[in-house]
Amino acid sequence: MTAVPITEAVAVDGWRWHDRVAGLLDDGLRFVSLSGTPDGDVRCVLADPERTVVLTTAPAGGRVASIIDIVGAAGWDEREIHDRTGIGFEGHEPLRPLLRHPSATSDWTTPVAGADVHDVAVGPTHAGIIESGHFRFHVVGERILLLDPQLFYKHRGLEAAAAGASPELALRLAQRACAACAVTNTVAVAQAIEDARGAMPDAELRRARTLLLELERLYNHVNDIGAVCAGIGFAMGNMAFAELKERAQRLNATLTGHRFLFGTVAVGTSELEIDAAAAAGARTTVAGIGADAAALWADVHRNRTARTRFRGAGTLAHADALALGACGPAGRASGIDDDARVASPRLWYDGFAAARPEAPTGDVAARIGLRVLEIVACCAIIDDLVSAPITPGRVRGGNVDVGTGVGVVESPRGRTAAIVDVHAGTITGMHLRTGSYANWPALAAACTGAILPDFPLINKSFELCYACVDR
Amino acid sequence: MLSGAVMLIAILAAPLLTGLIQRQKAFFQGRPGAPILQPYRDLRRLWHKQVVDVSGAGIAYVVAPAASAAALLAVLLIVPVAGTAPDFGVGHDALVVVGLLALARCLIALSAWDTTSGFGLMAAGRELTFAVAGEFLLALVVLTAALPAGGTDLPAMWLGAAGSGIWAHPAHWCGLLGMLMVVLVETGRQPIDNPDTHLELTMIHEGPLLEYAGRDLAYLQWSVAARHWAVLALTAGLFLPHPAGVVAGIVVVLAWMLVLTAVLAVVETTVAKMRLLRVPHLVGGVGLVALVGVVSWIFGVAA
Repeated sequence: MTAVPITEAVAVDGWRWHDRVAGLLDDGLRFVSLSGTPDGDVRCVLADPERTVVLTTAPAGGRVASIIDIVGAAGWDEREIHDRTGIGFEGHEPLRPLLRHPSATSDWTTPVAGADVHDVAVGPTHAGIIESGHFRFHVVGERILLLDPQLFYKHRGLEAAAAGASPELALRLAQRACAACAVTNTVAVAQAIEDARGAMPDAELRRARTLLLELERLYNHVNDIGAVCAGIGFAMGNMAFAELKERAQRLNATLTGHRFLFGTVAVGTSELEIDAAAAAGARTTVAGIGADAAALWADVHRNRTARTRFRGAGTLAHADALALGACGPAGRASGIDDDARVASPRLWYDGFAAARPEAPTGDVAARIGLRVLEIVACCAIIDDLVSAPITPGRVRGGNVDVGTGVGVVESPRGRTAAIVDVHAGTITGMHLRTGSYANWPALAAACTGAILPDFPLINKSFELCYACVDR
Repeated sequence: MLSGAVMLIAILAAPLLTGLIQRQKAFFQGRPGAPILQPYRDLRRLWHKQVVDVSGAGIAYVVAPAASAAALLAVLLIVPVAGTAPDFGVGHDALVVVGLLALARCLIALSAWDTTSGFGLMAAGRELTFAVAGEFLLALVVLTAALPAGGTDLPAMWLGAAGSGIWAHPAHWCGLLGMLMVVLVETGRQPIDNPDTHLELTMIHEGPLLEYAGRDLAYLQWSVAARHWAVLALTAGLFLPHPAGVVAGIVVVLAWMLVLTAVLAVVETTVAKMRLLRVPHLVGGVGLVALVGVVSWIFGVAA
């Protein structure tokens, strides 16, 4: 049995902030999140499989040293903290607004100059049924020089509402962050609360949550492959994978009573029950989806017109992926060998290894190819989990009253982290940093050098969530 | 007489072609799909809707929809479905058809310059860029069909393509290939363009249309349907096997047009849209094949 991971809280003086983060990175820990605390401090979470370190510093004169020179992934986090709290980051120049939307374009976009350079503005209202997001492309002809995305259009204050709420309400708020990652977000928050209380899930609870997470991944991945086909007007692939998604969602409804798996995760417990008959049915369905996905993907891949569109489109170079902290399928497709499932003592992933693409080319083809690989693994995990009935689970321990907990879960889009402060049975602070949030800067980087009409295709190959940033 | 009636009916029947293509696409893609008459419903709805103008737009924006519809109306009156066709006062010159199609394209592009909408301009710019290759191809294809007839009179070209003798000439085969590419370019269908897309950044033909509503949009949608009728009628009449008789010829040409709608539906289901910058290569490449056809005719190559 895996040992309970240790979460250490360390208060750091402002002048040592940068060095402490650098030191922990040198020790092999990786960046998890950067956020403001309920007390107005700045908190950086770093982790490796053995331990999680929560560094906190109080801003001196409203300023904290920036860490973006050593953690490129923290760029958006620092901009968000600045917009929310006014805390400045020494060395982060220019510190452009992220949540706030200034009226002058030059106040938030990267200056681009040169002969024939012009801007193409897309959104925030789009022709399709998607969330609000504004994209400003700096282009020469059809060639994209740079993309400045502007999201955060529909801030809902979910995290603020969670402060002072009961754990159950906080969980329900986290579930509303995003439908497609509802399980990931709620499991991350539940894990964070349990971590803060010093509780550890038992085998049944770990199995139930892992099953839910993989069911979520399955329907997301088949949906995302279909969406990529839609991005190039390839109706055959789009319709075929839409049908697979429908089958996966119907399985969700059969097993849990909800097509998006809502209401299936709870703090400290799981009521999910799947008896032998339902499990046998689920195994058949999942095997069918897995086999059909493989066959359909082979069909799509055989189609030269589709294949040539995927290859070489929207390449995210390995160095950029590393610098920007790209994760999930997008990171792995660029050769980042990272998957939160590999070290998940609170879940049931013993012996799991991250999927590795045949060639980490970082283009659309690699990102879809990686999802195809993951669907195979996903079906195998589900099949293994339901080979025995799923029964209700509980946590063990959990008598700590005051604390800060961290939960990290691999969503279909990347690493999702939740940081929760618990005080006498009440949530005093909640921060959710989803895989989508982590990957938006990487998407912008992948667009550089691409042509404008390829953007929908590149965007869909990441298939990031807008709502996940509108917490 | 009969051929004249069919040409007039085409003005009303053109939207049937786009409806048929949509219906067949839905069938091949496993969707219920809209009824075949949906384009007519759309036209009726749009016709009775208020027109919303872009503020600040000038004469090009106002005139473009009706003018392009008028150009397409003239095209339908010029393009015959049989070797004998009444003259509606606009003649039967194939080069006039080429010119009118270009005029309609140009008008829409000008409307985009008038509104200065980003998506419209981007799409119009692409449309004009591809027109360089597309119109070169169309001109060559017309030339291929004109050579056996000795002129660009469409009824004569229709008769020149009738029967089986013409198939002995490689030029005709090259012309057919070129004409099929013209169909894809002029109708704005995959792999060149995607008429069903909502993705503004990928649009070519649809881009400038985003700025139109109501009656103006109805004109433009009818124009698209008329363009389908014209190029499919030209393909069937000039490049697909048909008898020389009027009645039999009309029946066969109309049947070919139905077959071509099915071909377009299948292509649009099984072929992805190609990368935008590669379109001129494809169209230009097919243009070279058509050029080889013309040269082979001039040197009298026959099987």
